[in-house]
Order: sequence, then structure tokens, then C-alpha cells
Amino acid sequence: MNSAPRIMITGLGAMCGAGRSIDAIWDAIRAGRSAVAPIGQWDASRWPIRHAAEVTGVDDQAIVEDRRLHKFISRTDLFGLYAAQGAIQQAGLLAQRDKLDTQAAARFNDRSGIFVGCGGGAYRSNYDFFPVLSAARGDLQIFGRELESSVNPMWLLTCLPNNVLCYIGIRHGFKGTNACIANQCVGGAMAVAEAAAALRCGEADRAVAVGHDAPIEPETVLHYHQFGLLTNDALRPFDRERSGTIFGEGAAAVVLETAPEAQVRGAPILGEFLGSGCVTEATGILDVRPDGDGLSRAIELALEDAGVRPGELGLIVAHGNGARASDASEAVAIRRVFGEVPPPVTAFKWALGHTIAASGVLDLVLALTALRHRVVPGIATLNTLDPSLAPFPVSSTPQKPRSDVAMILCRGFGGMNVALVVRAVPAA
Amino acid sequence: MIPRRRIAITGIGMVTPVGHDAPTTWANLRAGRGGFGHIQQFDARTFPVRIGAEVKSFKPEAVICDRNLLKFASRSHAFALAAAEEALTDAGIRPDPSTGHRWGFSAGAGMMGVAFSELESVHAFCGQNGDFEPDGLLNSGFPADPVAFCRSQTNAGLGLLTRHFGIRGYATAVHTACASGGQALGTALKVMRRGLTDFMLAGGYDSMLNPMGLSGFCLLGALSVDNDTPERASRPFDKTRNGFVLGEGAGFLVLEEWEAARARGARIYAELAGDGNSLSSYRITDSHPSGDGPIQAMQQALSDAAMEPENVDYVNAHGTSTPMNDRSECAALRAVFGPQIECLAVSSTKSCMGHLIAAAGAVEAGVCALAIRDGIAPVNANLLQTDPECDVNIVLGQSRPLRIRAAISNSLGFGGSNSCLVFRHPDEVAAPRRCDRGQPATP
Repeated sequence: MNSAPRIMITGLGAMCGAGRSIDAIWDAIRAGRSAVAPIGQWDASRWPIRHAAEVTGVDDQAIVEDRRLHKFISRTDLFGLYAAQGAIQQAGLLAQRDKLDTQAAARFNDRSGIFVGCGGGAYRSNYDFFPVLSAARGDLQIFGRELESSVNPMWLLTCLPNNVLCYIGIRHGFKGTNACIANQCVGGAMAVAEAAAALRCGEADRAVAVGHDAPIEPETVLHYHQFGLLTNDALRPFDRERSGTIFGEGAAAVVLETAPEAQVRGAPILGEFLGSGCVTEATGILDVRPDGDGLSRAIELALEDAGVRPGELGLIVAHGNGARASDASEAVAIRRVFGEVPPPVTAFKWALGHTIAASGVLDLVLALTALRHRVVPGIATLNTLDPSLAPFPVSSTPQKPRSDVAMILCRGFGGMNVALVVRAVPAA
Repeated sequence: MIPRRRIAITGIGMVTPVGHDAPTTWANLRAGRGGFGHIQQFDARTFPVRIGAEVKSFKPEAVICDRNLLKFASRSHAFALAAAEEALTDAGIRPDPSTGHRWGFSAGAGMMGVAFSELESVHAFCGQNGDFEPDGLLNSGFPADPVAFCRSQTNAGLGLLTRHFGIRGYATAVHTACASGGQALGTALKVMRRGLTDFMLAGGYDSMLNPMGLSGFCLLGALSVDNDTPERASRPFDKTRNGFVLGEGAGFLVLEEWEAARARGARIYAELAGDGNSLSSYRITDSHPSGDGPIQAMQQALSDAAMEPENVDYVNAHGTSTPMNDRSECAALRAVFGPQIECLAVSSTKSCMGHLIAAAGAVEAGVCALAIRDGIAPVNANLLQTDPECDVNIVLGQSRPLRIRAAISNSLGFGGSNSCLVFRHPDEVAAPRRCDRGQPATP
């Protein structure tokens, strides 16, 4: 597809436990500061897992000012809308549309796509039924009679997985091609890949891609803990002593535009989307293959799609979730593709927690930031590299990127593996 | 420029309220036989709405032998496994260790992961006084069920199906409410055109016929309250329509690259020829009465299929039987097809199956492929008094024999996502013909 346009990145937005702006998150990472802290959303002092990287100290209205909207959406949706708004603002899309006449503005909206990797869970929203369940005492006839006087009539709408997609559209007027990807951890990363694919195929001229999630809930913590996936220690990717992951929450967003569109309007070019790869390893819901089969195939597909040779990569942002099996197979996959001397590898979950569906987009936004600052941040919680993974170019101290191209790796339930390749345009 | 890949539909599988497989479902839709009744799965006698379109006496183990797999499958996952198995058998091809990486998966997945019984047990330990007390989960008696937790993950169905069938390529699960199934097939089409896979298992699955799902729609006032006449409650485009009837089920298609399918002698139902995809950005539950939103989806789909409105003979409408949807959809059809609308047979098979939510678009895509194969536009059942605002050429009374050169299927979702898919008769791929009912195509 030689005629496909290049895809430029013109806006970025993010929020998570480490900060409410990319600069704040970046500063925390550079300072070796993790957002992991005692859980505050409920009293977890008696819980087997007591820590997470929560978004704290912000009231909902500071995130999304439209007060009416708060009744119709959930916590994860607030994060998604905030990140999307930041990216749209930075790209100057609305200011651009304001310059157009009515007809051209309508076409602008029809040619603006929205792609969202949505959060999962929503266990919390089901608890709205507790009062009626208490009244019913197991009798569905009472449940049926009391229902309408007990539960918010809009209940179903508050937990729609596609709320962020819907409300980005309503708030900003965009009406183009769209998707809401409900693929757990890789949802956000896939939203970026699908947005870029839609632009390459001419389905839209620009798109906003978002990943958002708020997985810190008692039920998720309990069950992840039962599977041995969580730790009370720090999240230490690739470390000899790594003992599991830690939840985070938040969202990130990017605005993508075709190169001709971005150039004509003189948009700020922050980077370029080069390619993606996405496969499942068909291992069912939870398992990962120890040989890194799916991840190495995703990496190879992404390099091919990007037209980038392995040696041209400047850095890799690994999934690095701190789980023993996932990190080990990730190192195997990276070594299989890149040989004994892969580009510098880092990961960000030690600082932000594992933000599940948001993680791929947060990592992408931070990879671009790292390239623009020409530094690969160290992993502050890394003490000793797991000798069974050596040699492997991770470090607790900063490294130098080899070029202006980064690869972002994202893995999830369902045997999912996604790799993204981006180039950064250095900050002026 | 490299010519775009053409995509063939070679396998169809369905589990619906009117049949546990595609042939039974299709026979009932052709005959206009509905699958409605009073809800049997739980005691809904005091709910504001007590009727639904249930999949009745379904036994997944009759189709899927892997008992351990079924343990991890929710009701909707079991529908999905059975429909996918039927589609692959029907296509006569399936992934094997040497081809698995060239197979992809794309599905519209339902939004409800937690079964009512699981919520009840959380309530018993954590919610007796109405509020959620997290420490109840730590009680040694709490029946924490890791398998149920796996089932509740958003991509659990993807995990189960890709593992069971050995699909190792691109995989995605999407959710845009009632547009999910249509958008999943649209994604599958685009993924194949991009060359990422040579085969796709694509469809949708859902079951919201449980106390939570039924409550959610009851509270919104979206359902028909005709509790005494369930068989007539779903009457899309009727002047007296008053809401949709909640259904459940799954539909899957096998998609293959056209020439490869021909080369192996596959039976091709139809070409999946185009996809249109838009966002209404109006209200969360409705499109604009003018049809703005669905209009763009249909226009894009036709343009994507390189087709003019006069090439289309049949529309499988979203036609939910809610006052707003049907009016807005008809306005959109008139805007897109203009005077050609008279030449276009329209029906909503939700008049027999009810609304399968995330599975609707996938099952209805299969219906379009079968309608093309058999030359039959299925009847829009239950329509006695056409709403003047829905004055399109609806298939009334009984199914209509009709050579269908091309069909389109609309799926319009809560949240404003709109999907339109275009299906082309295999003969039209070789030699396009003009409308054969004496209606000349506009030059």
C-alpha cells in the first residue's frame, strides 16, 4: 500500500496515579517516584493486598467539568474523557474546526474518528442493586416489584463499556468511523493501531485514540490475588525478586492525523505512528506461553508494518508487569527477535501501576516523551536482573536511546500480544 | 495500487431464539415464526416486563465436547462456541497448527460478565444492609470462584474461542452495544483487506436475559410492555410499536479471501463487500430524527462496496420496534436511497428473534447471506398498521421471493455507534446485472 498516507501524532493526553499531566507523570518517573501507595478507595488494612497506584486528590469536577455528565458515567469514563480532552486540545482540533464554514465543519466532524480501548470490571456498578437485593431476600417477585423504586433508571447507561466513545462524540461533535475495543489489557494499544489503520485506508482524516481503566476494586484485587498475580512488595519488572504486579488506574489519549491534513493546517507534529502487530497465542483466558511465541510474532509484524529493521529501534517500552511468567516470556521474545544486543529496554508500570486497558496508550505517550527528551528512564525498583533472563538491557539508571524510534509492547488476557512502533519528532 | 482483496462468506453458524443452528433459524424467519414468550430462565412475573426471546433448551455439550472448556463458558460464551463450531463445519475449513497464525477472530461481546448468582453471593457477604462492605469478601465462607472471575473478563469469550479453535492471528473483541456485531464484522473485513489474516471467524454473542440485564432495559423504558401478547410485542415499523423485546444468542461467519475460497471449491454465500461506520453524537440512546448518523454509515458502506443505491435489493433493518429507532432509521433510508426506496425490500427480522444486542448484527449478517443464497427477503412479522413515518417498502405478510443482487444490514447502538454492512450476490461479483423487476436503474 504505497499510496497510504503517513500518520502523524499531533496531540497527547494522560492522567494516572503519578500525575494529571504528561509532564507530571514524566517528572515522577525521572525522579524514581512510584505512585504506589496504600489503597484509599476502601479500608484495605486487613486485605492480603494493600497497595495500588490510585488517582487521588482530585474531585470529579476538576476532571470533567460538566456536572450533569457525572450521573451518567463511571470512574473509568471520567479518566478517559479527561485524557481525550487533553489530546484534542493539544492538537488544536476544535480551534481548527472553528475556522471552517458550516459545511466544511460538518465534513470535518464526519472525517474525525474515535477509537477507544475500554476498561473492564464494572463490578462496582452492580452494587447499585444491593438495596433491592436486601429487600428481596432472595425472592425475585419482591425484586421485580421494588426494582423501579430502588435503582437509578439510567443504571444501564452508567455502565455501558462504550461511554467514553459516546461522550467524546457528543462533547466534541466528532462523528466518523469508530470502535470500542473490549480486549482487556491490550484494548488501548489496539485502539491506537485501529485508528492508524483507518487513517491509512482513507476512512478518516484524523482520529482520537484512548485507553482508560479503573481496575482498583475489591473484587478484582481479591481474584487477581488468588491467581497469584499481585504483590505487596514493589513492582519490580525483570528483577530476580519480582513477585507480581500492582494495579494502577488512569487513561491516555493520542490524536492521529494523516500527514497531508496535519501539514496543511500546520499542526504541531509530536511524532509519527509507524506500525503495529497484534496476535493471540491461543492460550485461553489467563495463560502465557513460556516461549514468548505470541509476543515475538507481534514484534516481527510491527517491524514489518513499520518498515523498520530491528537494529533501527531506539528503545523498547516493555510490558514489564512484574509477574514472573509474563516478564520471563517477554525477555525470551525480545531476545529471539533482537539477538544478544537489543536496544535499551525500560518499562513504566513500576511507577504507574498496571492500568490494564489504559497501559498501552500510557506507555506510548511516555515512549514519545522519552524520545523527545533523548533519555530512556531507569526502572527505579530494579535491584538485580533475574540471571535467568540475562543478558537483557534493562537498568535502574537512565540509558541513551539509539535512535528516535520506539517500540511499545502490551500483553493481556486472552493470550493477547500487541506491539506498536512510533517515531518522535524531537522537541524544539 | 494493489487491487483490494475481495472477501467471501463461506460459513454461517447461529444460535437464536428461533433455532439452535442456522438452517432452523432461517426456516423460522422465512416462515415468520417468532421465538417469544414469557421468560422461563428466572421468575420475572413481577418485573415491569415479563417477556423475552429466549434460546430454549440449549445444550452446549451436544455441540462442544470439551467439558472443561464449558466450565469456563458463560451462557453467551456457550452460544458463541456452538455458533462458531457450526460456521467452521459449514465452511469445511478450520485452523490447524500450520494455518492458525493466518486465522483471525473478531467478535461483538456482550457487556454483562457477572452472573446474577455471583452478584447474589457478593451481596450475601458484603451487602446485607444495602451498602457494599468490601471486607465481606475476606470472610472465610465467601465462595470466591476464580472460574467465575475468568468468565467475567471482557475478553473471556475471545480467550475461550481462540484457544478452542486454535486461532493464533489477529484477535479482537469490540463492544458498541447494539452495533457490536456489525462493527465486529466490519473490523474483520478491514483486517483481511489489510492482509493481516487469510481467514476470520467473526461474529457476536450476548445474553442479557437475566435479572440484571432485564432490569437495566426495563428501567430505561426501552422494552415493549405487552406482557399479555408476547408473540406480537416486537412489531418494527408498526404504528403501535412500543419497544423492543430482549433476545439472546450468537452468530458467527467464516470469511475467506475470495480467490482462495474459489480455488478450494468452497461454497460462497455472498461477498462481504462493504462496511460503513459512523457515530451519531446526538444522544446516548437515540439518533437524530433526521437519520443523521445512520445516513453516513449507509453512504460509506455503499461507497466502500463501490455500489450505487440502485444496486441494493434488500435491507435487513436494525428495526428494533422502539418508536425512535424505527422512525430515524426510515428517515435515513429515504435520505440515502431517494426515489429508489420504492424498489428496495425492507424487513426487520427482530420481528421474529427479538433484539440480540451485541449478537444482533452478526446474526443478521448471516440472515442477509442466506437471503441472497435463496433469493428470499424474509418477512417483517407482526406488522398490521404501518407507521406513516415508516413508509418504506416493508416485506409484509409473508417472505418475498426476490433475486437479491445486494443486501445491506444496519446495526445502530446505544452510545451512538452505527454500522452498515453490504453483501453482494456471488454472481454479481463476476457479472453485475441491473435491477430485474422492471425498475430501470438511473443512468
